[in-house]
Order: sequence, then structure tokens, then C-alpha cells
Amino acid sequence: MKYMLIIYGNKELWDSIDPAEFAKEIAAFDAFNKKYLARGELLGAYGVADAAATKLVRLTDGQPAVTDGPYLETKEYLASWYLLDVESEERALAIAAELPSAKFSPVEVWPVLHEASRETGVDTGVA
Amino acid sequence: MNGGAGAEDLLRELAPQVLGVLMRRYAGLDSCEDAVQEALLAAATQWPATGLPDSPRAWLLTVATRRLTDILRSESARREREDAVSLATPPAVLAGADAWLAEGRTAGARGSDDTLTLLFLCCHPALTPSSQVALTLRAVGGLNTAEIAQAFVVPESTMAQRISRAKQQVRAAGARFTPPAAADREQRIRAVQQVLYLIFNEGYVASAGASLQRADLSAEGIRLARLLRRLLPDDAETAGLLALMLLTDARRAARVTPDGALVPLVEQDRTRWDRTLIAEGAGLIASTLATTSALGPYQLQAAIAAVHGEAASVTDTDWAEILTLYELLARVSPGSLVSLGKAVAVAMVHGPAAGLAATDELAGVLASHHRFHAVRGHLLEMSGDPVPAADAYRTAARYATNTAEKRYLDGQSRRLRRL
Repeated sequence: MKYMLIIYGNKELWDSIDPAEFAKEIAAFDAFNKKYLARGELLGAYGVADAAATKLVRLTDGQPAVTDGPYLETKEYLASWYLLDVESEERALAIAAELPSAKFSPVEVWPVLHEASRETGVDTGVA
Repeated sequence: MNGGAGAEDLLRELAPQVLGVLMRRYAGLDSCEDAVQEALLAAATQWPATGLPDSPRAWLLTVATRRLTDILRSESARREREDAVSLATPPAVLAGADAWLAEGRTAGARGSDDTLTLLFLCCHPALTPSSQVALTLRAVGGLNTAEIAQAFVVPESTMAQRISRAKQQVRAAGARFTPPAAADREQRIRAVQQVLYLIFNEGYVASAGASLQRADLSAEGIRLARLLRRLLPDDAETAGLLALMLLTDARRAARVTPDGALVPLVEQDRTRWDRTLIAEGAGLIASTLATTSALGPYQLQAAIAAVHGEAASVTDTDWAEILTLYELLARVSPGSLVSLGKAVAVAMVHGPAAGLAATDELAGVLASHHRFHAVRGHLLEMSGDPVPAADAYRTAARYATNTAEKRYLDGQSRRLRRL
């Protein structure tokens, strides 16, 4: 079963962390990634730039128009996501609890339902 | 592999036998298994040009032994570099190899024992089910890492990590290339059966998607179950497992619509069922049940599948027989999903109200399982309650984690809302 773990946050939250502490957190994330890549349970780990860097692309009369994003106006924005392939939901939840950021921000765990085959592009239809 | 289907089948049949011979001599699942994989690759690239060797088995054994020598030498050199301590020089692998190469020409009883021991090792209790599956497909199935990764839709590097980690865990658990102790044997056989069933099911459940690679896993599950049955001809549960796979696979063509929605058993076009597979599966389970001394869950599930397979339609189905089989199944292998299957049989025999009552006690444990809500939807519709039925189907669709099932459940919900 594949699961996506999502971490949300905002600039205030990241700025509130002491720089020395932040470096330690980054090292903890690296250790987390290394551990679960080696176990064959983590397929990928990604982080995005600040929400201020997001752009929105809209088609207006067939012409793309670019404005500042993000689309959803919320307090917390997407920060990082992790793709897991694990034995069970319990396992996904246990790994989510090990994310270093879980100490100060909740982790969202989504079962993945659709995935395109790398060979054919067709939906494999499996989680 | 481009060496033709015949050569590929032969290679995959020989793979566990050759690995068995190496393992008996040199232990070390990781090195031996890598060596056999390299020999398989060499055969797949060379045989199409050179034609089949006189003894394909001896050819593979020779090449695998040479590869193993290289692997052990380079491992030893690496250890020496790393430790700066001169460890034992690699064993003279090739010395004396001629003597047992002769033995390598014929499979014989020893080849069968080796294959079984290898299956036990791959399904070692120290491993997680997905590691057992991956290792079995590679070491016994003769599939390469890329093929296994493709079948499970994960990157090849991830699958390589899993396989190498599984090998390390087998080694760390102190597992040796010997059959399990008599006291553990039954349990270890059950573990092997479960792994083969997982392989089959992975392909079957996913075959709704247009990914043929995954459908191939069902064929591989059946191939390995046939192999296990040859190795354990007197084990009734192994016969039950194979029968269950055949009877389930027989319905493959009827179980999804062309646009990929699931078709439940009761609505399937039975003219599209594979009668040859049904006959083989039903025959196998009938003869097994006639002589079995240990009734188990695979035999009972196969027996249920056989009753469905031999019925001309839903109304012609012997539901009383199915209910009896479910009652037995609930006794030998109790579980909430078995109880759910039983509730459907109760509804078909005693009416939907009795079926719904039987599902009530499952509402807690199965609250977020799509199948519970799907069954409730079906039984509510049978009771003439389309509105709650539509709601139950909608809830089921929300919990479904398979596209084909989700599509079917959403369709049911919409259909009932239009009534």
C-alpha cells in the first residue's frame, strides 16, 4: 500500500525555530530519509519553496495567464511530502510519527489510490 | 527475456534448482542468489544465439559457480581493503566442482528438496510479508529485480533495497539452508502458502488496471502453487490453495468492465468464465475434500469458489451449501471478513433481514472497511431500502482503495439514487 505523508507549515512557524535547532532538524530529516530509503519503504521525499514563490497558471481564452499563488488561502501551506510503500496503514502511521517535524506540527497520511504505470502511462488502479 | 517463451520457462524452472545446489555447497543466500541471477541473465542473452546447451542445468550451474567465485573474491578483497586485516582467502570454489556438476545434470529428488528448502528460507518468519514475496519471486521465481519492481509499481532501487535487506535479515536470523525442524514444519508450510497467495492476489486484485505486468503475478502465483503441490503432493491445504487460485482466475475476464469497473460475482457474465480452469479447480478440490484429514481455510474457500463456479446463475447457486462451508470456515479461520461473507450467504438462504442482522456485530471492527458498507448496501437494496442502500454504497466508495472497486461502488450509489 502506498501512502503520502504531508507536512504543512508557514514562514512564521519555520522562523520561530532557533537556527542551531533548525540545523539539527535538517540532520534528523536526513537520518529519517536514509533509514527508510534503506528499508525500501520510502519511495521519495520532497520539499517545496516558500508559499511566496508559488505561481498560479490559468487559461484565459486559451492563453496562459500567470499570477502569484498559492491557490488555496490558508494559514498553513504545503511544506514537504513523502511517498511510502508499506505493509499496512499501521506501518504508515508509525513512520509518520517518526518524522522529526511531528513534534511541532501534525502529519497528514493519505492512502494513494491512483498511479500511472511507468511503461504505459495507464492508471495501475492500486494503492 | 527474448530467448523465446520456452527458454524462459525452462530458465525459471531451473533457477531454484541451481540455487539449491550452490546453497548446499556454499551457504550465503545473498552471494549465491546474485550468482544465479547473473547466470540467468547470461543464458537469456546467449542462448537465443547459440541455441539450448545439451544440459541447460549444468550450463547454468557452471556459469553460476564461476560468478560466485568472482563475487566471493571481490567481497574478500573489499573486506581486506576495509579491514586492512587479511581475512581468509576465498574458498577454492571451482576445485572439485566437476564432481558435483555431474549431479547437476539431473534434478531428481534432491532438486525438489532443495527447492522446498529455498521456499522455506525465502518465507522465513524474520521477514515481513512484502519481503517474503519479493525474495520468493527472485530466488524461486527467477524474476529479476526490475521485473519485480515493475509488478509492484515501485522504483527498481527500492525493490533492490528490499531484496538485499531481506537477504541480510535471513542471514542475521541465523537461517541455514536446511529444512525446518519437524515441530515448525506445518507453520512454515503455511507461511509459504500465504506468500504464494499474496503473489496471486496482488496480480488478481490489480488486474483491473490495464497493467499486464501485474496480471502476470497471478500467473506466477499459480505456477509457484503448482510447483509447491508437486513438492508436497499429500498436503491438502496446498491442493486447496491451487484450486482456489484456479477457480478465482477462471473469473478474471468477467470481473471487470471494458472501462475498468469491477463486476461483482453475482452480476458477472458466466459465459465468460474459463470452463477449463473451473473444471481443473473443481476436480482438484473435490478429490482433496474426499480424502483430507485436515480441513483448512484454502480448501474451504476453494470449495465455496467451486460451488459458484459450477452454478449456471445466481439463483441456481446452492446457497445452503455455501452457508455450511462458511460456517466451517468461520470455525477453522475466524475473522471479520469471513463473518461478512457468511452474512451474505445467510441473506441468500434466510432473507436480507437475517443477513443484515448478521452484519450488525461487525459494524465496530469493519467501520472503515469498504467491503462492510458494500455488503450492507447490497443487503439493504435486497430489503427494498434504496435510500440507505445508496448511502451505504457511497460510504463504501469513500473507503475503497482500489480504483475498479471504487468505480463500481460509486456506480451502485448513483444507480440507486436515480430510482
